[in-house]
Amino acid sequence: MSAAKRPKLEVAMEPVLPEDLTEDVPLIEAYTGIILDAKSISRMVVDLNSTIPISELAHLKRVRAKEILLFPTTFTTPDKVIEVLKRKGFNVEWISDQINVVQVAEVPPKTKKQYDVVNKLWPCNFHSNKYLEKLCTNSLFNVSELEDHKRFMRMCIDVSKHGIKAGAIVVDPKTRSVVAVGFDKTSENPNKHAVMVAIDNVARTQDGGAWEPIEDGDGASLAGIPGNILDDLNANYPGNSFGASCYKGKDEIESPDDGPYLCTNYYVYVTHEPCIMCAMALIHSRAKRVFYGTSVPEGALGTACKIHTVKDLNHHYEAFRGLLKEECERLNGS
Amino acid sequence: MIMDASVLSDDEKKFMDEAFKYAQEALEAQEVPVGCIFIYENEIIALGRNEVNRTRNATRHAEIICIDQVNEYAKKNGLDLKSVLAETSVYVTVEPCIMCAAALYNVNIKSIIFGCQNDRFGGQTVFDVAKVLGPKTTVKGGFRAEEAMGLLKEFYKGTNPSAPSTKVKTKGKKM
Ligand SMILES: [Zn+2]
Ligand SMILES: [Zn+2]
Repeated sequence: MSAAKRPKLEVAMEPVLPEDLTEDVPLIEAYTGIILDAKSISRMVVDLNSTIPISELAHLKRVRAKEILLFPTTFTTPDKVIEVLKRKGFNVEWISDQINVVQVAEVPPKTKKQYDVVNKLWPCNFHSNKYLEKLCTNSLFNVSELEDHKRFMRMCIDVSKHGIKAGAIVVDPKTRSVVAVGFDKTSENPNKHAVMVAIDNVARTQDGGAWEPIEDGDGASLAGIPGNILDDLNANYPGNSFGASCYKGKDEIESPDDGPYLCTNYYVYVTHEPCIMCAMALIHSRAKRVFYGTSVPEGALGTACKIHTVKDLNHHYEAFRGLLKEECERLNGS
Repeated sequence: MIMDASVLSDDEKKFMDEAFKYAQEALEAQEVPVGCIFIYENEIIALGRNEVNRTRNATRHAEIICIDQVNEYAKKNGLDLKSVLAETSVYVTVEPCIMCAAALYNVNIKSIIFGCQNDRFGGQTVFDVAKVLGPKTTVKGGFRAEEAMGLLKEFYKGTNPSAPSTKVKTKGKKM
């Protein structure tokens, strides 16, 4: 079957990746020498590694055919290379006096695509990470998982209609159960973006919560979904499960995975790209993955910035955009 | 960002004192010791401290709680919330985190005066929120920074009582 005939997946969802996975690997220049006697290569490499180790370029192979990698050009000018080699104690009789300059990868490549580019310039070590490859090539999910994501985003759209614009739901992927919902209530309180409301509703399933009065029986598994919305969702999505798994107090938790704790291990679906406040709220809440429909100018997961990829933060989640994009875009008009 | 105490007026110093009181209170309640007050027309209209552990909601930072209170204040007094916030100054013992900085800029707050830098989550130090949002808000930091940092250190010396223990060990040492 040709590529054109393959059934096209309607879900145009893609990961929003950090730049070090999508950009080309930065390059630097380095000097190489020509090996005079092929038989001396292995001794030469040992000698060079001990006299002039370049730990910052440990990802590069030291030899390509009859060429040997000496050191980055930042060390010295071309006319001083032989002198430097001598001073460091390297036996320069192994190489000719011709010194070349090559472009090499400054840092190890992370993806196969990056590797293929830099390996052509100068041979390079590469340890492929299967998970990362799937993520970067947007092939992480199979058809039935994509169907799940679509169903949850459809619920999100339904939930959004209770508010002004955006809707959010929080799902426990282990049980495929909807833990909490949220919709935009900014007409009531400027903090009440859909995501912020959903996070507070998750807290309600854990004996917490700040915004809604805590009633009898709260902290229960279904406390994250208002009754009327739960009725609608139950009617429209028969067979889907709703509610959080049983909440454990801090004394009962034995391992970090033994939650629920905040939004740890939860997936968050939201019709519109979260703003900086909401994106950071999801970092604080330790969400595992965030899926959104339509991008917005002030969006913080790909458009105006990428909060989920800020290196200095202590937690990161994966973000995916474009899930039921058209349907989510249509919500703006209403 | 070290700031001479003389840069603040007597009133401003007094408000900062007030914010420190709530940071201390947070510490006693085993919450991250951050205290915050909001000043409108020279009066305190909101005061808060972190309530993350009590509410089991990681977004209940002092600043977010204060915005909630201003919202109530405006409703009660028949004032336009947007105009109140645009004339409100925030005093907070620690640099607002990325989330809170964005929340304060989103509502167009007039000014922010903070104590120490927030090396883990700071909305300037870790990620410059103002560069993305371009707010009108003026921001000054570094007032009584050592004291504010001292409170945080004291908190992180112990462990966060609500987090599963293995999570705290690795993160707790940073500040
Ligand atoms: Zn938001
Ligand atoms: Zn904050």
